[in-house]
Amino acid sequence: MSQTYTKKSSISKLNSKAGISSLLIFVILLLAWIAGFSSRLFAVIRFESIIHEFDPWFNYRATAYMVKHGFYNFLNWFDERAWYPLGRIVGGTVYPGLMITSGSIHYLLHLLHINVHIRDICVFLAPVFSGLTSISTYYLTKELWSKGAGLFAACFIAIVPGYISRSVAGSYDNEGIAIFALQFTYFLWIKSVKTGSVFWAVASALSYFYMVSAWGGYVFIINLIPLHVFVLLLMGRFSNRLFTSYTTFYILGLIMSMQIPFVGFQPIRTSEHMAASGVFALMFAVATLKYLQSMMSKSEFKSLVIYGGLIAAGIVFGTVVLLTYAGFIAPWSGRFYSLWDTGYAKIHIPIIASVSEHQPTTWFAFFFDLHVLVATFPAGLWYCIKNINDERVFVVLYALSAVYFAGVMVRLMLTLTPVVCILSGIAFSGLLELFLRDDEIAKPEESGDEEHTTPKNRKYDKVGRVPKMKHELNKEPDGIGPNIRTIISVVILLLLMLFAVHCTWVTSNAYSSPSIVLASYSGDGTRQILDDFREAYFWLSQNTADEARVMSWWDYGYQIAGMANRTTLVDNNTWNNSHIALVGKAMSSNESAAYTIMTALDVDYVLVIFGGVIGYSGDDINKFLWMVRIAEGEHPKDIKESNYFTEQGEFRIDGEGSPTLLNCLMYKLSYYRFGELKLDYRTPAGYDRTRNAVIGNKDFQLTYLEEAYTTEHWLVRIYRVKKPDEFNRPRIPVANRLVKSPNFVSKKSTKRKRGTLKNKPVIVKGKRLSSKQS
Amino acid sequence: MYRHKAVLRFNGNKFRDYVKGTPRNYSMIVMFTALAPQRQCMICRHASDEYHIVSSSFRHSQGYSKKLYFAMVDFDEGSDVFQMMKLSTAPIFMHFPPKGKPQRADTMDISRVGVAAEEIAKWIADRTDIQIHVIRPPNYLGTVAAIILFGLVAGFLYLRRNNLDFLYNKTMWGMTSLFFCFTMISGQMWNHIRGPPFLHQGPNGQIAYIHGSSQGQFVVETYIIMILNAAVVIGMILLTEAARGKRDPNKTKIMAVTGLILVSVFFSLLLSIFRTKTQGYPYRLLFN
Repeated sequence: MSQTYTKKSSISKLNSKAGISSLLIFVILLLAWIAGFSSRLFAVIRFESIIHEFDPWFNYRATAYMVKHGFYNFLNWFDERAWYPLGRIVGGTVYPGLMITSGSIHYLLHLLHINVHIRDICVFLAPVFSGLTSISTYYLTKELWSKGAGLFAACFIAIVPGYISRSVAGSYDNEGIAIFALQFTYFLWIKSVKTGSVFWAVASALSYFYMVSAWGGYVFIINLIPLHVFVLLLMGRFSNRLFTSYTTFYILGLIMSMQIPFVGFQPIRTSEHMAASGVFALMFAVATLKYLQSMMSKSEFKSLVIYGGLIAAGIVFGTVVLLTYAGFIAPWSGRFYSLWDTGYAKIHIPIIASVSEHQPTTWFAFFFDLHVLVATFPAGLWYCIKNINDERVFVVLYALSAVYFAGVMVRLMLTLTPVVCILSGIAFSGLLELFLRDDEIAKPEESGDEEHTTPKNRKYDKVGRVPKMKHELNKEPDGIGPNIRTIISVVILLLLMLFAVHCTWVTSNAYSSPSIVLASYSGDGTRQILDDFREAYFWLSQNTADEARVMSWWDYGYQIAGMANRTTLVDNNTWNNSHIALVGKAMSSNESAAYTIMTALDVDYVLVIFGGVIGYSGDDINKFLWMVRIAEGEHPKDIKESNYFTEQGEFRIDGEGSPTLLNCLMYKLSYYRFGELKLDYRTPAGYDRTRNAVIGNKDFQLTYLEEAYTTEHWLVRIYRVKKPDEFNRPRIPVANRLVKSPNFVSKKSTKRKRGTLKNKPVIVKGKRLSSKQS
Repeated sequence: MYRHKAVLRFNGNKFRDYVKGTPRNYSMIVMFTALAPQRQCMICRHASDEYHIVSSSFRHSQGYSKKLYFAMVDFDEGSDVFQMMKLSTAPIFMHFPPKGKPQRADTMDISRVGVAAEEIAKWIADRTDIQIHVIRPPNYLGTVAAIILFGLVAGFLYLRRNNLDFLYNKTMWGMTSLFFCFTMISGQMWNHIRGPPFLHQGPNGQIAYIHGSSQGQFVVETYIIMILNAAVVIGMILLTEAARGKRDPNKTKIMAVTGLILVSVFFSLLLSIFRTKTQGYPYRLLFN
């Protein structure tokens, strides 16, 4: 009786322990979700629930279109309001995963009679998905190392700035949901490698399908997983589990990824995807050899491996080269190629080089985005290599490839961030697992900490507690005294606290401005909202004809289409370089040459961004050299970059600037009437605050355009292009006239406007009776 | 004129005969340079190589004609030419049109576009309307180096075929991966692409190791960061190993304290360097 009782109690004790641990895990993950969600809300609280920046505006417009017209109409949507006069086939040129995700959430909520506007779903989609990301990171890390490390990783990724930068509320972009899909695919893949079950492999292929539908970064997965398999083969870790999971994943993933219209036949026709199929073939070769090995003698097998391997490798390589040469397989695309040959983009593709996200990464950016994680994740990597197994090979490869790509391009910091969180989680949990083992010492310090720190910090303490249970059994005396133990734990927790406040600071200061609405702070701390962009777009939507065509630099294309609902010539989907170059040429030519281009393109309005009044540095004059460069790439005869520099090779907008610059369309549109404007008492009239100089060309008139609208702070200036019939021809001085007029002196004056006819009686008004009046 | 050479070498007299006499029926591209070793002009040598590539591309191209000739004047052979043209620097590329005097744009702006052969060809096309497709002599150096490296590795593996344990040495692999990570996170790729100066020497002789803005970095700065990062990581590993403690207590204690000092001090240093580059960053650890 007593025996059974103790047995029962021990079982229930065990159950309750497991219960507490899973409750803790649940609570911690929930808190991570909440913390991650709320730290992404800075922009919404400070400004309003609004879509940010540029690309999100297109995604939002497309989502709204899909919600309104249905999915099939969305797939067939031909957008004639973009890329005038070419248009754009939207359905075939987007990754629809984002729109479908928010569209189905919208559908579900409306089914439950919760009437939420689609805009609010779009705004809050990325913060919600960040919680799912941290949960899938937890599961991935749990598979790789331990639960404690998983909780650390989940908390890290919830607040790390490298991921927040792409997922704040309002930044409605592919990356927001793609990182979740990425982590989840990796988790399912690891799971399927571990179990070798078809179920997990199919699940990972499905998740891969979602990733393909969401983001072009799926190429990273379809190269990393084959690389993992390949390295495992090299290490002699071939197993039937690996064979099952990879072949299932590859075939299903291939077929499903081809269902996305934008991807189409790329998976079997481009070089980016060839590694996957090569590994697929290799897998079969290895499996065959393994099978033959059991039937042959050792010497026979050896010669078979050598000759068979050489011949097979030669045939595969030859086939790929031949197919590439014959044009069945496209060579690497420029964007992909620039990742390997780092100087390639700078020389050959200025439009890629012009985007600031495509620049290489300084150490500062690494530290800014990852803080303590960047200095500790190599320790986690070290332990993964030291205790290697099948799935840790994966995380090592993931870390090494992602850190390389992040070094080449700032933008790919995003793919590095999850693996850094995982590895740092491993490092920190490994450390605290050992140092917080002693309950009596660690507890008072923990409970003291909990009261006055943010919920984020609290989690770190709890994480330490979880694995304690496992290690309580093997308690043994160790060489480090309790004092040092405590100091070390405090220092580590201090580091983590610094990380939490750093994340909050960075999120609040760097990543939470919508860039549609600007805020400026005056000396006494009051805030001034500059809402010029929306003012201008609203003006466009209200005061111009519905089919009016607006020319602007490509950065603003999506915003004009999304907010003003007007036709644009070029936009942020930079698929047609020559069209962009044409706009660049118009902007950098003088007024009359630009007018020819503008009439050819049916331009009605020109929109320029000018920051000289408020000192906004991201304006069109500062981007101007890229317009010149891109235009020069296509029209080297007409536009020459060197003409826009002074003799000393400087880019100046003041009186010393080159005459070509001072007379080009962009300069004139930016500075029209600016010479009359005196900003304050200390500076002369026409003083540009962004470039800190007095402009060089002050008094000029526009011949072919007229000012239509300028916003409150002059941030956006809109000009109307005159039609040829209403055109004011410039007055030609009498001396230069080819056709001299005869000696006719007009008698027109301000008083007598009606003109006179020679030798005709003057008509006296009011004498004749009009029959119509009666 | 000479037919066998792609680039003609001129001294003062020849320069006056062939270049200064206008009108001619050909354009002339002249490189003014100083190739003599005692002049120590590194860029001249590089520019001269690129120039020869352009001229030989033109010499062997389909569009080869007698409308364009390439020449060079070395300072030590024709210093009178330098005086005549009022030149004080080298290298300088100048175009002498068939008629009239060279304009401002007839001097290539090498400070802006550099001296790459493609840029020279572009400039020539700009000035003379003669398109030159630059054909570089294929660079076998990379291929040869790769083959040699591959051969060495293969030979090494073959020689040690009986003892391949080092391939399974996790410490070696770990070190290599860690080194690769440190290289990348300290921004060496940025250095490779942008080519920043090693360090900055101010006008008063003061030396700056750290670039003042967050947009740039110096080479020496990245090395410092690399060392700091590595120290923090070593500290973390020492701490973990100490706590695993299966060695004698004294050694463990030393390891733990060293690890603690490494982590806290070097991370604080990292943070303070970060602070100097960020305006208004409020947090710090040990140092300002």
